[in-house]
Amino acid sequence: MAGKTVIRVKDLYKVYRVGDSKVKALNGVDFTIQKGEFCSIVGTSGSGKSTLLNMLAGLEKPTKGQIVIAGEHIEKKSENQLVKFRREHIGFIFQSFNLLPALSAVENVALPLTFQGMDKAKRLEKAAQVLDLVGLSKHKDHKPTQMSGGQQQRVGIARALVVNPQIIFADEPTGNLDSHTSAEVMELIRRIIHEQNQTLVMVTHDDHLAGFADRIFRISDGKIVSIEAGREQ
Amino acid sequence: MKFRDMLRMSLSSLWKRKVRTFLTVLGVVIGTASIVVMISLGLGLSRASMAEIEKYGGITTVTVTEQDSYTVDSSITGAASQSQTVEHLDDDLVDNILQLDHVKDAYPVLDTDALAISGGFQANIQIRGVAADKMQNLQLNLGRGSLPQPGEGQLSVVYGNMVLGDFYNDKTGEGYWYNGTLPDIDLMTDTILYVFDVDRYYNAIWGGTDDKGQAVTMPKKYVVDTAGVVAGGMEDYNSNSSYVFCDLEQLKTLLRKEFRGSVIPGQPTTANGKAYKDIYYTSIIVNVDNMDYVQQVQNEINDMGYQATSNAEWVASMQGQYKYIQLALGGIGAVSLFVAAIGIANTMMMSIYERTKEIGIMKVLGCDMRNIQSMFLMEAGYIGLIGGAIGLELSYGLSAVINSVVKTVDLGVDEAVSASVGLSYIPLWLAALSIVFAVLVGMVAGFFPSLRAMKLSPLAAIRTE
Repeated sequence: MAGKTVIRVKDLYKVYRVGDSKVKALNGVDFTIQKGEFCSIVGTSGSGKSTLLNMLAGLEKPTKGQIVIAGEHIEKKSENQLVKFRREHIGFIFQSFNLLPALSAVENVALPLTFQGMDKAKRLEKAAQVLDLVGLSKHKDHKPTQMSGGQQQRVGIARALVVNPQIIFADEPTGNLDSHTSAEVMELIRRIIHEQNQTLVMVTHDDHLAGFADRIFRISDGKIVSIEAGREQ
Repeated sequence: MKFRDMLRMSLSSLWKRKVRTFLTVLGVVIGTASIVVMISLGLGLSRASMAEIEKYGGITTVTVTEQDSYTVDSSITGAASQSQTVEHLDDDLVDNILQLDHVKDAYPVLDTDALAISGGFQANIQIRGVAADKMQNLQLNLGRGSLPQPGEGQLSVVYGNMVLGDFYNDKTGEGYWYNGTLPDIDLMTDTILYVFDVDRYYNAIWGGTDDKGQAVTMPKKYVVDTAGVVAGGMEDYNSNSSYVFCDLEQLKTLLRKEFRGSVIPGQPTTANGKAYKDIYYTSIIVNVDNMDYVQQVQNEINDMGYQATSNAEWVASMQGQYKYIQLALGGIGAVSLFVAAIGIANTMMMSIYERTKEIGIMKVLGCDMRNIQSMFLMEAGYIGLIGGAIGLELSYGLSAVINSVVKTVDLGVDEAVSASVGLSYIPLWLAALSIVFAVLVGMVAGFFPSLRAMKLSPLAAIRTE
């Protein structure tokens, strides 16, 4: 995969202070991800995978090290700059979907565009297009409560895609779904990432789900222990 | 983020929590209404008192009279006895006063006494001569007839509404002030005779003699036409109600003729008791263009060597008094708005706790921190705006109720005044100010909650519960 580098992580440390003792959540992590890649970070609970994702998305500050996304140093940005960076370059898929219950599917998808200051007509049109892409053409005006978990997560995926981000982060995207739906959603994610030439980093504890990715980073005790190719290449 | 989108989002989050929004708004409604009604009462009171002052000669009127004359006794000072030169009021002075800043109008007034006789009644009346073309300035509210026209040959007069009560029975001496019944005279149609030289009239009746020992002859009695009568009865006092008004020039001509060579009663005399060639005015009425300059004009005229009086000090002390009343009333109202503000702050705090996740999601999705703060401020502002608007409408309703109650109940205030202008009065500026204030209170109350919302960690959003 001869794409250009989207993420470069170098010598990343995160140390939490718990009482008097120090807990190293991340203990020197290095990797790079190319454009168009679908990577998964897999590890057990407490392995540091969520911490890594939070830091990649700029939600937590690293103790030491560098994170460069699309040529910009995330670790040096202020909170305001991070918000702006996320608004323009990053999509996010949550485990518990995190759709706003008062908004319809299409409005939820258009929300990041609202934050960008796009006109209402334009952003709703764009959101509708992305909903078509994830196969929810018939549910555009449904509220989250009127949709199944799988459908809600499709809305979540559409919301991440709508800003045409440099990179999409997904935190246990199928954690709240049954296994059948999970597989469906994972297939959808993989298909769209490849069709749209998007880059996605997924965190999961499930080996099977991690296998949908092109590359699998195995993390344990704050360190990447192995990088494997996905099973279903 | 577009301003319109922020307005829409904050309005929709209020709408989502209808009951709580309603209750919070209700607090603001009550707070706003209590402030507005309280202040409207203060304003109404002060307006009623102003209307009352208006009856006592207006608030922009300065009355100019001669300075009280006094003589310096030569036996004390050793100097020749001399009268302090008293400046008399004449047309030159009227012109000078008209030159002063902020003087809208000035006109002379000549007062003189006369005896009016009609049928078996007579009255000592005060005649006030005012140039016919200035007579509308007196704001005589005529019940019957009309004002004398300028240039009429015959002296015709307008009676103040309380003049009728001055007539008494010339046999018994009883009149209205003695037995409470008005004499049976129709001022418009009955013949009324005036005697100007009252001293000579009584001298002639009692058979007095003059310096040369000759019997005093009866002075001429003039038949005086009535042009009009001021509306109102004996109870309706105002500064004009006990005068008889006539044209100044006609009065001067008549007095000159009547008192040829002798001193007209009420006129100043030379050092040796002789009459001046001119007739001097009793007072000059000066209209100032604005209440704020009354004191200034008054001082200028005083400096010129005359005595200028006005209601300015009375008005000032009155206004000072009502300002305190307004402050006190407004303060009482402010307490409830303050409570409402705490309610807003509380509601916003609750809302933020509930929406921690939502705020976090918005932050992760890239919503600007300022925008988040703005949306919360807008929500609080909306609560203030809606509450203020409804509160204002409620105030108008309450104000109308108060005014209709005051019309039927005696509150010890001058009823006629309070009934005519209303005890509660909401001017436009108060209405506008109350809404602006309510919005402001809402936003101030929402400020710290909004700051808190802004600082919430986005991590809260992706935490799985």
